[in-house]
Amino acid sequence: MADFIKQSWVFPVVQSVHLIGLTMLVGSIGLVDLRLLGIGRRQPIAEFASDLAPWTTGGLLTVLITGPLMFGSDLTRYMNNPAFLLKMGLLAVALSGQFTLHRRVVRDSGTSSSPRQKLTAVFSLILWSSVVLAGRAIADFDLRVV
Amino acid sequence: MSRTISESTWGYPIVAALHVLAIVLFGLAVLIPHLQVHVRELDTDVRWIRRAGMGLILFTGVLVFASGASRYYESTSFRIKMGLLVLIALNAVASRQHRNRFNSAVAIVLWAAIIFASRGIAFL
Repeated sequence: MADFIKQSWVFPVVQSVHLIGLTMLVGSIGLVDLRLLGIGRRQPIAEFASDLAPWTTGGLLTVLITGPLMFGSDLTRYMNNPAFLLKMGLLAVALSGQFTLHRRVVRDSGTSSSPRQKLTAVFSLILWSSVVLAGRAIADFDLRVV
Repeated sequence: MSRTISESTWGYPIVAALHVLAIVLFGLAVLIPHLQVHVRELDTDVRWIRRAGMGLILFTGVLVFASGASRYYESTSFRIKMGLLVLIALNAVASRQHRNRFNSAVAIVLWAAIIFASRGIAFL
């Protein structure tokens, strides 16, 4: 299995699917955050978020399948990569915030939001962007030339 | 500008990272008119995010290209990617006249294909 994934054409395909999952996950969360920050106002924010929820869930499932596939293909390569370790730490914080604080803030919002809710949106955008940037940096800190 | 980016050690990783970030943050927004979820309300809500997002994706893409232009000209994947980009533009014009399930499906497939082609640039 690990060897199959490491094969030249399989790895970039898995990586591409991972990136598509990430655009679904972070793209949908980011849109809700921008609404919380007051950009675009027509639909109640909670309703907007629930319209996009399938994309958040679908994206999360996609990255949670493709991520471990890549990780599993070469454990030592990733465990020795500082960008990967940073990404996992950031991901843990982002995910736990997403399903606690962020979810509550979205549920309690109307068509506009309070400063505290806006602050949550800013943190969410920064955190998820950091996850993406750390993920991209894995390639820059990779010792094996692909 | 392109020389500044290509000659510094961190220039390329930084613009490449910003390009990926722009796609991840705004790729879904760009496709919103084609996703069959309460299309109208979502579309009105995100029109400006969508336009700004597309602008950011293209701008950062040009920076990445500028940082390694000669390398990109020779890449088959890059040529495929540019071809797909032209198709996306044509399909967007067609969707403006008349949006239906067909050109929505085409838009989604083309965007997915462009991500695969982009990954291919590093390999082909």
